[in-house]
Order: sequence, then structure tokens, then C-alpha cells
Amino acid sequence: MSVLCVEDLRGGYSEVDILNGVDLALDAGEILTIAGTNGAGKSTLAKAVVGLLPRVCGRVVLDGVDITHMPTERRAQGGIGYVPQVANVFPSLAVFENLEVVEGVRDRKARIAELFALFPALAERKRMRAGSLSGGERQQLAYARALMTRPRVVVLDEPTAALAPALVKDSLARVASLATDGTAVLLIEQRARQALAISHRGAIMDGGRVAMSGAADTLLADERAADLYLGHI
Amino acid sequence: MASFVELVLTGITSGLVVGLAALALTLVFGIARFANAATGDMMTVGAYAAVVSMAASGSFTLGVVAGAGAGIVVALLAHLLVFRRLAARAPVTSLLASIGVAFVIRAAIGVAFGHQQKVFGLPVVRPWRIFDVRVQPIDLAVVIAAAATLLVVFLILYATPIGRRMRAVADDRSLARVSGISPDRVMVTMWALAGGVCAVAGVMLGAKTVVSPDMGWDMLLPAFAATILGGIGHPVGAVVAGILLGVVQEIATPFVGFTYKIALAFFVLLLVLLVRPAGLFGHSEGAR
Repeated sequence: MSVLCVEDLRGGYSEVDILNGVDLALDAGEILTIAGTNGAGKSTLAKAVVGLLPRVCGRVVLDGVDITHMPTERRAQGGIGYVPQVANVFPSLAVFENLEVVEGVRDRKARIAELFALFPALAERKRMRAGSLSGGERQQLAYARALMTRPRVVVLDEPTAALAPALVKDSLARVASLATDGTAVLLIEQRARQALAISHRGAIMDGGRVAMSGAADTLLADERAADLYLGHI
Repeated sequence: MASFVELVLTGITSGLVVGLAALALTLVFGIARFANAATGDMMTVGAYAAVVSMAASGSFTLGVVAGAGAGIVVALLAHLLVFRRLAARAPVTSLLASIGVAFVIRAAIGVAFGHQQKVFGLPVVRPWRIFDVRVQPIDLAVVIAAAATLLVVFLILYATPIGRRMRAVADDRSLARVSGISPDRVMVTMWALAGGVCAVAGVMLGAKTVVSPDMGWDMLLPAFAATILGGIGHPVGAVVAGILLGVVQEIATPFVGFTYKIALAFFVLLLVLLVRPAGLFGHSEGAR
């Protein structure tokens, strides 16, 4: 059974629908890249899954439980981690406080120690204000915060968008490592080819719905996908 | 020299009252995202509750505790009955509603206690002389009460899980929610804290001057000034700016007279903001 199912999802920020009937499913340990042009509805889909979209209809199902209208904070506690594209840390809080504030965590101290072992750069800067971290360190902190609850699904909204080109490869390698312990990853990404290269499957959105989907290798080799959405480089 | 030190000490005590009110304003602004115009009237609630409690018990300490309790109750009621229902609307809606809440509180106090001034009836005590400087015992009591209140507030904000969550919501409400933090629980704590701080400030003001239905409303402008000067949403900045404004006002009194000392404090505010538009402790942020 899929960990996350999205069925005929529609909705937006006001009266106008940005999502026009999205269907997708995500299995444990799987990375699913959502690609598409600007305005295709990728980030809106991420917000709908985590509960930040004001108006939704259709269904979002996590581990067989309908969470479509569940409050955002309960979804977070119940197993959905989210790393937004920008503003992904609490800048006035220290690094360790960014992790301590997360609710729904069992054995908080041990979990923070585990995450500091996973992200050693954060351990060295645990008393620094998160606002003073570099872009790459901020992203590591954002990942660590999202992983605090040992989530079943992590939603990453364009993790490479604010990074220097030299850091993109490392960032995507880190995304790939998230799925190794069974966490499902929904990866929204503009750098579609690089993202698909580390993914199991991909879906290309256009006009608020999934226009093409399939195995990542198949999409990367698809001439039509390359012509219309992915480019050839 | 001794009279200059006395002016500074008086400035610190009156500045602490303004600083506490500014702290309450900045807590609400930082987390609920609106300027609470009922801050002054929540101060008045604290002062009246303390006067009543002291008249019944004879204890000033019990008066402070009763005042703080009344402030907490009124702030929570205002949150539950008014502000929580408007949370999804634009911040200006809550600001306008807070002006309404202020009028309701003032009218209720006027109906319950009348419009005559009241006093705490504290015993008249000779000022102490320390190195030729006169120190009023009530000023010392005010400083101790303010210091204790600040200690409690900053301990809660910086050394407890709920305080960290309050600061997280102040930083980014959406990110707090996707981190599993319930804004509702944070709001209840914040309003209790803001109400208690307002009320203690009101008790201190009432103990130094007189208690009347308008006393808190009159403090609103200086409190806003201290909030802005300290850097909106910055708790430490609010308190420091309040003390700074209080000291500037008192030091200026011999030169410009009582009437113009408030104007001078606002002139200082203008000068500081010309150099540091985000306030003394605030950070400039670019628009996204």
C-alpha cells in the first residue's frame, strides 16, 4: 500500500483553482520528483499535501488515513515533514532550538543527537542563531528539522533553488540518502533532469494536473518530455 | 550631581512602566501580528484589581498578584472572545477591534468604580539617602516588581519549551505549523503573559501616581514609541527603549519643563529612527 496518495486534488489560494485534479501515489523509500514549468502548480501541490493551502477538495491519504482537512500541525506530528523553498528555518532561534521546538517527537534528546551525527556541521554551530548560517547550512538545518519526527513522507519544495551551483550536487545526494531508511520523498524541483537522476519515479505537471508520469529513467529518455518540459541537457 | 542621579533614577522607574507596556505590545505584535490598542486599558485593569485587593487585604504584594491575575483573565477573555475569531482576517481588523476592546474595558471600569481617582493608600515613608541621593522606597518597590516580572517573562521566552515555540511562531507562523506547533496553544500563553505584564505595569503606575479609568490609555502613546524605538517585535529592545525614553524625559525636565518633556522624548525617537529605521534592536528586512 502507498504511504501517500493524492486523489483528484483541486484547490488554490482564492477562488481560482491552481490544482485541477492531481492524482499520484508514493511508496515507502521512494523518491518521486515533481517537475514542470513555472506556474504548473508544483509548490501549490506541496502546500496542499502539508496542509498550508487554504482551499482544497479531493483527497490526501497518509498511511490509509484521510488527512485532507486535518490541521497542518497534526499532519506534521503524524508523519509529514516539509522543507519549504524559502524561509525554511527559524532565524532568531539557535540551531538546537530549531530542532527542540518541533512537536510530536519521541525521545527528543536522542533524536537531536542522531540528527547532529547525520549533519555534523550543525552540531558545531548548535548555539549559533539559525539566521547567521550559510545557505547550505540552513538547508541542512531545514532537513534536520523536517526529519525530527521520523516522518513517513518528506516534502521538499525546490531544495536547490536558493543554493550556489557548487552545492546542488551535494544537496541532491543528501535527498537521495533520505529515502534509504524507508522515508518517502516528494521532491518538487526545477532542475528536473538532475532530480530525476536520483529519483525512482517522476511526474511532470502542467496547468495544475499531471501531464506525464512514469519511471524516472523512462521520463529522462522520453523525447516528448525532453522537448516540452525537461530540455535536452 | 545628586539631583541629576535622582532624575535618572526617577526616569528608570517611570521608564520601566513604559518598558513593560511596550514589552506587552511587542509580544502581541510579534506573535499575533497586530498592535494591541487595549494594552493601556489592560494596565488599568491591573491597577484597579490591585487597589481593591490591597484595600481588602492590606498587602501591596497581594495587590500586585491580584492585579496580575486580573490582567491575565481579561487578556485571555479578549483573545478568546474577540481576537481569536479575527485571526484569519487582515491585522488591521484586530487593531480596530482592540480599540473597541479598550473602550469596553474603560467603560466597564468607569461603571464599576466611578471616574474619581483612587490611590493605593501606601504609608508615607521618608526617602532614603544614599550618598546624598534621595531614593523613594516606592521607586525601589517598582524596580523590584518590574525586575521580577521581566525575569519571569524572559525565563519563559528563552528557557522553556513554550517560550521557544512562541519565538518560533513569531519568526514564521507557517513554518511553526509544519513543525507540529499549535498556534492556538502558543496564543493562549502569549495573551496570558501579555495580560500579566500589562497589569503589573498598571499596578506600578498606579502606586507611583493615582488610579483612574484613563490612566492606561494615556500610557499607550509612550508605549508605542518605546516599541518602535526598541525594534518592533524585540522584547529586550522594548524594555531598553522604555527605560531610555523615561530617562530622557526626566533629564530634560529641568531644561524644557514638565509640559514639553514628552515632546522631547518623541524628538529623540525621531532622531534615532532617522539613523536606525528598524529601531535600536530591530533588523532591516528586504521585501520578498
